[in-house]
Amino acid sequence: MRRVSLHGVMVAWAIVTAFPLVWALMSSVKSDAEILASPWSPPSSIRLENWARAWNAADIGRYFLNSLIVVGGALVLTMALGSLVAYTLARYEFPGNRLVYYTFVASMFFPVFLALVPLFFIVQKMGLLGTYPGLILVYTAYAMPFTVFFLHSFFRTLPSAVAEAAFLDGCSHLRVFARVMLPMARSGLVSVGIFNFLGLWNQYLLPLVLNPDPDRYVLAQGLAALSVSQGYRSDWSGLFAGLVIAMLPVLFAYVAFQRHLRAGLTAGAVR
Amino acid sequence: MVQIPTTKYGTPRRAVLGAALAGVAAPALVGCVTSGGDSGNGTATGAKTAENPLGVVPDAPLEVVVFKGGYGDDYAKNAEAQYAQKYPKAKIDHKGIQRVGEALQPRFVADTPPDVVDNSGAGRLDLPTLAAASKLSDLTELLDAPAWDNSAAKVRDTLLPGVIEDGTLAGKVVTLNLTYTVWGLWYSRPLFDKHGWAYPKNWTEMLALCDQIKRAGIAPWTYQGKYPEYLNDPLLTMAAKTGGTDLLKAVDNLEPNAWKSDALIGAASAIAELAGKGYIMPGSEALSHTESQAAWCQGKAAFIPCGSWLESEQKGVVPAGFDMVMGTVPALTAGDKMAGTAVQAASSESYLVPAKAKNSAGGLEYLRILFSKASAKAFAEANATLPAIAGATDGLTLTSGLSSVRDAVAGAGKEAFSFRFRSWYAPLAKAVDDATGELANKRITPQAWAERIQKAADAVAKDSSVTKYQR
Amino acid sequence: MRHGKLRFVAGALAPALVLHALFVLSPYAQAFYLSLTDWTGVAGGAHFVGLGNYARLGEDALFLDALRNNAVMLIVVPTVTIAIGLFLASVLHLGGRRGLDGVRGTAFYKVVYFFPQLLSLAIVAVLWQFVYNPTNGLLNGSLRGIGLGGLAHSWLAEPHLALAAVMAVIVWSSVGFYMVLFSAAMDAIPRELYEAALIDGAGAWATFRKVTLPLVRDNVRVAFVYLGIAALDGFAIVQIMTVGPGGPDGATEVIGLSLYRNAFTYGKFGYASAMGVTLFFLTLAVALLALRGRRTERLEIA
Repeated sequence: MRRVSLHGVMVAWAIVTAFPLVWALMSSVKSDAEILASPWSPPSSIRLENWARAWNAADIGRYFLNSLIVVGGALVLTMALGSLVAYTLARYEFPGNRLVYYTFVASMFFPVFLALVPLFFIVQKMGLLGTYPGLILVYTAYAMPFTVFFLHSFFRTLPSAVAEAAFLDGCSHLRVFARVMLPMARSGLVSVGIFNFLGLWNQYLLPLVLNPDPDRYVLAQGLAALSVSQGYRSDWSGLFAGLVIAMLPVLFAYVAFQRHLRAGLTAGAVR
Repeated sequence: MVQIPTTKYGTPRRAVLGAALAGVAAPALVGCVTSGGDSGNGTATGAKTAENPLGVVPDAPLEVVVFKGGYGDDYAKNAEAQYAQKYPKAKIDHKGIQRVGEALQPRFVADTPPDVVDNSGAGRLDLPTLAAASKLSDLTELLDAPAWDNSAAKVRDTLLPGVIEDGTLAGKVVTLNLTYTVWGLWYSRPLFDKHGWAYPKNWTEMLALCDQIKRAGIAPWTYQGKYPEYLNDPLLTMAAKTGGTDLLKAVDNLEPNAWKSDALIGAASAIAELAGKGYIMPGSEALSHTESQAAWCQGKAAFIPCGSWLESEQKGVVPAGFDMVMGTVPALTAGDKMAGTAVQAASSESYLVPAKAKNSAGGLEYLRILFSKASAKAFAEANATLPAIAGATDGLTLTSGLSSVRDAVAGAGKEAFSFRFRSWYAPLAKAVDDATGELANKRITPQAWAERIQKAADAVAKDSSVTKYQR
Repeated sequence: MRHGKLRFVAGALAPALVLHALFVLSPYAQAFYLSLTDWTGVAGGAHFVGLGNYARLGEDALFLDALRNNAVMLIVVPTVTIAIGLFLASVLHLGGRRGLDGVRGTAFYKVVYFFPQLLSLAIVAVLWQFVYNPTNGLLNGSLRGIGLGGLAHSWLAEPHLALAAVMAVIVWSSVGFYMVLFSAAMDAIPRELYEAALIDGAGAWATFRKVTLPLVRDNVRVAFVYLGIAALDGFAIVQIMTVGPGGPDGATEVIGLSLYRNAFTYGKFGYASAMGVTLFFLTLAVALLALRGRRTERLEIA
């Protein structure tokens, strides 16, 4: 009896979490009239043309590619720099260690709005406004605090024995990091990589100000544009199709890596 | 041995405190943002001739940034094509964007703005702020130039009444609005014909009709509850008709106790009565504009207050044969100072030329093209919207909605009025919206409504940091 | 062996620090300075006004509404999210037949529960707007469907319900992550402890309180910090979903929204910066409180 009710609760929560997604998927293949008349009923026929329209007419395809370039570049850079910083701060003692660590950690508490306008000028003066490298660098800078915070505790929990043995064998600092410590931290790297991917993929405020050229729009900007014009043209189905398209990569990334994610959390990070 | 720390660093609490200090004491590169001094506007100007009255430099590039909303941006591209035809050497950069304010604000600060901007839609730039900071060009030169397709007339003479006034801030014309918006109450003519309902001429008739509509099983009114400003329009229209121009001035000039006048309290009471008698569709208070307008299109409610853009906004979802039309807001009292045909009308879709535009002559020339009769006509045809250019709809076959709007404008004659406080004092507009939302949901009385708005108006009047305007 | 250590450290930190100083610290430093000025956000000049902006915050009724709402969210959102997260994680671990293993379908639940975390807050807000729609929304539709039509409400338009509706969405979108986090922490708890509890005849609640909770306390604390930050934000959800937005009549106003409106709609960038700085110190205070004394209670089980 108790287990039945527990199962009931678990199933109920599964429905509550999954339903809105299923519903968005469903709405993306309905007609506008169907969405408005009976938002919760299944489609009368599957209209894949909504997806085609969103991909082509609303330029979601191009935004998708832009997002891939920017987020991909920023992710690689964030992981490379962030793991180096976290590792160094976690396992080396030197003057100023704490100050550097706190400097990164404090930035997690800043409201991003505040930075937007000053940030614009900095990027502009460097001639990086509306360019891929500009966005990649700024994304990296803003993903760094969490990455350092997360990986810092992770590197600290790793055992020292292997690294010490490697040093005795005459390995350089960089080599110990790259060949010994990084592989040991794999699950932590994957976890933080996924979180960064989610965060960067859904980033909206930074590109809004730093990426003014519609040709270089990232997906979040493209969706906002679609959603605004939707407000006037009532292309609901196109909007949902765009939302689903934007959702798919993160969904795949999660399903593919979710085992590593849990392993990474288990291994003592986020403490 | 390499040092591998086994001791923990200080407590996280100290960590966070230290981090805070690091944040505060960080390299104080202040002054970057606010240091943008006058570096000259570098505007390229050529010789002014009859052919080229604004002195456009033929090969100067032109950057146009347009709000891409309900009207799309094809109309703007058409005007660019004509510009390119006249100045084939000019390279034209077109951007159709949303959230114009956030995208362009830094460029205004940096004094590297585009050459011409359509500052419209949600998240647009605050015009008074820009004007007070001298970031906008005076458009007088454009207004005095000959019209693009009628060299006998000046541009200023081709515009509908009120358009120049709408674009004037502190005595300077800084924007030119492309569309002419009229506010009223919308209904489906076939629906009314079917039930034998006649559009009410005054508020007493409105209440009687609402009773009939309700008994027919339809909600008499709905409104865009998520954005209560939509309901302000009929309320303020009624008040303006009762109180006349004096009321408009009192409100816009932030005069003491303006909001507590009989005209405004009377109009608020009328809206409150609508709500009190259950004439507003239940749930309206939480519906967005798209949702409530869709419900109205599905025949769930008879009236909806909206501006004249409604027909084009509903293009995709309106059922065939719905034939929406706009009626003027009924008169509240027999002693109204304006006729029942008076309408609240204002131009919108604000085009401006930044003061620091690199090619401001080109920007002005672009507007001369955009505000030509031919452009306006094409715009009206494509968007079922009244342009701010006189006679733009002549000879066009108009849809039911647009022709009712045109009739309303014609019927109002000189009695087309508008409030300016919304654009002058954004915080006051927010206070009015919030209060009206509460009023329509029976949470405050008309007196309380007036009092809290008056308080907000007094606060604005008292605030020395706000630039004041007079009409 | 110490050879090259400092060089390595400097080389490892330099690129990241340059990026950080350039793109993160310096804009914020400027924002701190701007909060002491009357800068409009577009004009070239800014006048120093000292703490004037901060003094005005106390008289701003809407900002005070925002403070109150953020305070409520700060208490409710982490508490409820963590409670549900702990409950779900416990059931996944111990809800099964013998009280020692999870319910069937654990792997499936772990995937599905995480879904909301994948969506951007903007998408979440759009989806929930449809759920809360009073006329044809999912929530009222379901209530009417099971004969509870009397409980149907205009969720986002009634002042006493709107904030709760917003908080429910934040909880909904966060629970999955914390469930996974707690679940990972519970994986690390030795099974012998549970077996011993079972032999002692401890019930489910006693086992949870005596065994599980002490061993996941650190994670709970971190969860409080993260959720506290989320609760002090709430901007995206409120801006897209609520009436007004921030309404009805300030019922769902949050600091982020006030900041945004003042900076970008009212052209009071200096004043908005003062709100942001206030928000920064509030967030900091929350982090300090939640992490207080964490080190002394740290359990070395990993």
